[in-house]
Amino acid sequence: MPELLAVNKNLFVEDAWQLDVFKGTGGYERARRALTEMSPEDLIAMMEASGLKGRGGAFFPTGMKWKFVRADPNTPRYVIANGDESEPGTFCNRFNMELDPHLFIEGMIIAAYAVDSHFGYIYIRGEYGRAIERVEQALADCYADGILGDDVLGSGYKLDLRLRRGAGAYICGEETALFNSLEGKRGNPRFKPPFPTNSGVWRKPTVINNIETFACVPLIVENGAEWFQELGEGDENAGTKIYCLSGVINNPGVYELPMGVTARELIYEYGGGLPEGRTLKGFKPGGASAAILTSEQLDVRLDPSIAQYDTIMGTGGVIVMDETVCMVDAAYRDALFFEEESCGFCIPCREGTPNLVQILERLMHGQGVMADLQLMEEIGDSMASSFCGLGQFAYRPVVGAAQKYRDEFVAHVEGSCPAGSCAIANN
Amino acid sequence: MTQATGPVEQTQADQSTVLESLRTRLADLKDEPGSLLEALYIAQEMLGYVAPESIEIISEELGYPEAHVFGVVTFYTLFYTEPQPKHIVRVCRDLSCHIAGATKIAARARQEIGAHPGHASADGLLKLELVSCLGQCEKQPALMVNLDVHGPVTEEEVTDLIRSLREEDQ
Repeated sequence: MPELLAVNKNLFVEDAWQLDVFKGTGGYERARRALTEMSPEDLIAMMEASGLKGRGGAFFPTGMKWKFVRADPNTPRYVIANGDESEPGTFCNRFNMELDPHLFIEGMIIAAYAVDSHFGYIYIRGEYGRAIERVEQALADCYADGILGDDVLGSGYKLDLRLRRGAGAYICGEETALFNSLEGKRGNPRFKPPFPTNSGVWRKPTVINNIETFACVPLIVENGAEWFQELGEGDENAGTKIYCLSGVINNPGVYELPMGVTARELIYEYGGGLPEGRTLKGFKPGGASAAILTSEQLDVRLDPSIAQYDTIMGTGGVIVMDETVCMVDAAYRDALFFEEESCGFCIPCREGTPNLVQILERLMHGQGVMADLQLMEEIGDSMASSFCGLGQFAYRPVVGAAQKYRDEFVAHVEGSCPAGSCAIANN
Repeated sequence: MTQATGPVEQTQADQSTVLESLRTRLADLKDEPGSLLEALYIAQEMLGYVAPESIEIISEELGYPEAHVFGVVTFYTLFYTEPQPKHIVRVCRDLSCHIAGATKIAARARQEIGAHPGHASADGLLKLELVSCLGQCEKQPALMVNLDVHGPVTEEEVTDLIRSLREEDQ
């Protein structure tokens, strides 16, 4: 099965980030058609029929989101592209922003028209220097060419888009934290409900979608809802997903495949498998937040149904580990990440994340006790009551690893590292 | 839009002149609601860090309480409240890079820089930071010098890189 290229098609077109090249691929014709020939209601119905769901990891139906925003009488309404991609093991948005920035901007224009919004933001993490440059250039070119501004593509529709940079905070990828950041505040999340569709940035109805979600939109307008629906594996999945592959793998990179391919297909057919002589031990299906799956679970489908295995699809950032990777160490890396990125706003997350780090450090230094394994689960139970998704998910990769690789954790309590790669082994 | 996201070379210009020009540059942001982070980027670009005086000016010009501005500066890891070395070497320490040997990369960087993570080198030119995922995982192990991405890097390349950064400044 060849790699399916829809959203990523222009990644193989030289200089597609330049406006004239992008236009040569049919760029902005979809938006023109949408704004001049289609009604907002038709567009929303089309998104609903396509089965497009949010690619940021929550998989909320895009058409439904737009419908809620349009139905809210409050104005002004806003559209926001979330380019704060910071989940460990995830880097696909970066490719799309650097190499094909106009595609998701075109999707934003269509979304804005569908919900009657005249202002939007593109929020990109501050570390993505090149993506920021390319998107800034793309916006300038759009204004110069009449694609943005007072008369979008000659349709008479008005739309302004602004680029804003994050400044090093994973939590700002959480939509309500992102709103606070855009408003010039600390990136603490807000309580939900109300949801962004009714109370988003500036407390106004807001469409916020991932870069990849917006990038799907022009393609759906061009090829139809049915085409998109059929791209996915099985009845439940629509479209493609851009999976990111890293860790112990021959060909790390981004792969656009039918939503719902199996981990085995991704790792072995597309990623080239593990380097010679290395054996798969486990893999994380969706970034740091996703609990690890074992080598016996290679045939699970990488789609939201993966939740039945006590993990999450997340961002589709698949991280592959072999027998040399110590699972206590791997869990420690995740714990360290969440400790660093916890915003400190709520107690279960602020206190729970460093507690997990400390326990894992003990285990890796031969100072752990059996009660620590139980303690991690108890801390996890408290963290489940965290204010936002960060804390609600942060403990799961740690507790999950300790359950799936219990023998290995117990071995650390007894003073040895079977993988031979963590601190205990080097003493 | 300003390009610097980290420290830049300290200018010899009189700080008060710089601060006055910060005031001028903030004028564009007054009509742009919520543009505090952009203001902080500008302030940091001009002095290499967000100085207490810059916070005062931003507070006056954009109408935020100083405490609010300080709270925002300290929330985001790319903003600094102290003068910074010219080059910040940011080594990713998260899972993919770690599996690919980031710990050795960080150790080598520390050895070449000659200072613990978070501390400036003796010559004041360099600093190592161990940071969260940079979103460059296909280049595992990856690092950034300020915002320039390098990867996959070997220990030898880290040595060469840091030495060449030092030579640039001689």
